[in-house]
Amino acid sequence: MDLQEISLKLQAGKAKDVKILVQQAIDEGMSAQTILEEGLLSGMSIIGEKFKNNEIFVPEVLVAARAMNMGAALLKPLLVEAGVKASGKVCIGTVKGDLHDIGKNLVKMMMEGKGLEVIDIGTDVAPETFVQTAIDEGCQVICCSALLTTTMGVMADVIKAMEDAGIRDKVKIMVGGAPVTDAYCQKIGADAYTPDAASAADKAVAFCA
Amino acid sequence: MPSDNVLLRTLRHEKTDTLPWVPFAGVHAGKLIGKSAKEVLTDEEALFDSLMAVNKLYKPHGQPVMFDLQIEAEILGCELMWPDDSPPCVKTHPLGETATVPCECTLPTEKDGRIPMVLRAMRRMKEAVGDTTLLYGLICGPFTLAGHLRGNDLFMDMYDDEEYVEELLAYCTACCNRMAQLYIDAGMDVIAVVDPLVSQISSAHFETFLSKPFTEIFEHIRKLGAFSSFFVCGDASRSIDVMCKTNPDSISVDENIDLPAAKKITDRYNIAIGGNIPLTSVMLHGTQQDNMKYVLDLIDRLDDTRNFIVAPGCDMPYAVPVENGIAVAQAVLQPESVREMLRNYIAAEDSITVNLPDYDKLSKPLVEVFTLDSDTCAACTYMMGAAKVAKAHFGDAIDMTEYKYTQKENIIRCKAMGVKNLPSIYINGKLAFSSIIPSKDEFYKAIEAVQ
Repeated sequence: MDLQEISLKLQAGKAKDVKILVQQAIDEGMSAQTILEEGLLSGMSIIGEKFKNNEIFVPEVLVAARAMNMGAALLKPLLVEAGVKASGKVCIGTVKGDLHDIGKNLVKMMMEGKGLEVIDIGTDVAPETFVQTAIDEGCQVICCSALLTTTMGVMADVIKAMEDAGIRDKVKIMVGGAPVTDAYCQKIGADAYTPDAASAADKAVAFCA
Repeated sequence: MPSDNVLLRTLRHEKTDTLPWVPFAGVHAGKLIGKSAKEVLTDEEALFDSLMAVNKLYKPHGQPVMFDLQIEAEILGCELMWPDDSPPCVKTHPLGETATVPCECTLPTEKDGRIPMVLRAMRRMKEAVGDTTLLYGLICGPFTLAGHLRGNDLFMDMYDDEEYVEELLAYCTACCNRMAQLYIDAGMDVIAVVDPLVSQISSAHFETFLSKPFTEIFEHIRKLGAFSSFFVCGDASRSIDVMCKTNPDSISVDENIDLPAAKKITDRYNIAIGGNIPLTSVMLHGTQQDNMKYVLDLIDRLDDTRNFIVAPGCDMPYAVPVENGIAVAQAVLQPESVREMLRNYIAAEDSITVNLPDYDKLSKPLVEVFTLDSDTCAACTYMMGAAKVAKAHFGDAIDMTEYKYTQKENIIRCKAMGVKNLPSIYINGKLAFSSIIPSKDEFYKAIEAVQ
């Protein structure tokens, strides 16, 4: 079958169709990795670009990601069986005092769409929790999100906690959110700031390579 | 409503000689009187006193009475988290698990939640400054309120269950209309429908789901005799046109939008537009000069200043330095004098040299008042007034002088002394008071300490 069809259905957010097509591809004997990369991740990559270029918005990304997850659930056991590993592992959360998670969720979806394994720590996450999760899960990158000018300062606390735990030179830290800027990223000594979810995913992939 | 106010004339789309200025000082108002965000959002006295401080220091043509988009959500069952220095955040979504629509019997009344406190503060503000200042009542827009109630699943619902989204939005619209009625009855001149989530959807989705609710709300506000404003946060550039079609009297945008470009659209509909002063990079972290320059540059970038309101991009962060608010006010109220200040600030490096006093060898305490201009800047007038009271009290026992930033040599003096904020008072060459006007007792003690 043409895996482009899976990509197109994913971009349209047609979760049930994606599930059917992925099953069909499996039944036809295609490798799980090929279906993942040429069907699901290819579709999600286009979604990421369109989101970055303001061609689509939050609802479109959410339904596309849901479609990807439906297809990926079928592939997961086959990928494990075949010994295929994620291209990297990151953890993500909104910083302590911040409950706004739309941006964080979008970044997570884009990262999964790039083949990364993402540990979602949720909202209102203490600096120590970011660090402990990175250690326990073996994450290569910590991603911090903040929507408020009053909570973005916690990102510097996360860096301090990384230093205290002795992982600052082993784990990268990325920061993002509405009030965050590249200048702020440099000021607090984080490794990267990206202005949108798709760029964040690209940067994380580069850090994990 | 004031009989003559430049904001009023702007909302009526008339040409004005000067521009209107509306500082969105919500939690930031608390900083002016040393109260936390939670105190000004929950305590009537703290709220009223802080709003009066905003009115006194920033000399606004209009000001919001309460900037908290969670008031309705709290009443409708959302749990809130309360930081000290920002408005509360919604922690739980009562419709998160079940896609139902609440009964209209649950709509907020004048007795629910924090509404009684807000209404009392509104009436007091109307009484205190209503003859000079237009007062804004802010309500949570229908889409953001639906998001508070339903959570992020609302976005999925737009694909999975359009009918449900329409029904939920109809309920939220009824809530907006109820809140508008309550606030207008309490004397509010402008109802701002604040809907940050609007920037997260396409203009097509806006037309499908939101055109009808917003049109209905703005029509309702107009029938009740008040003006309306549509506040949006984030990059909603693509939706400015469809927002205009819902027919608000004005629109307010943040720094993510190219305001001059957006104004070309709003001008076609004869709708006023304002906002845009960056909250973090300029208001929170910038200098006074940065703030003045941003405002004047923004004005200069407009083809036509009719239908334009000078305002921050959204609710000012709590910790915005007071002097930055004063700087914006001064740039709006005295643009030509501020232009001259900025020119002199840039040119001040070259020609003139000033001799600073030998502060270690003064014969008596020296009070130096650094102002933008105590004749035209409200905060500077009050600061100078405090110094004059002290001078009258201490008489010849102290020396006192004012340095206005309108004069080039005073700009050089400020640079030489390291004066960062205006107005401020230095005693014997050391910073004693910055931006916030000291009480008589505080001032006397500071002088006595060096006598």
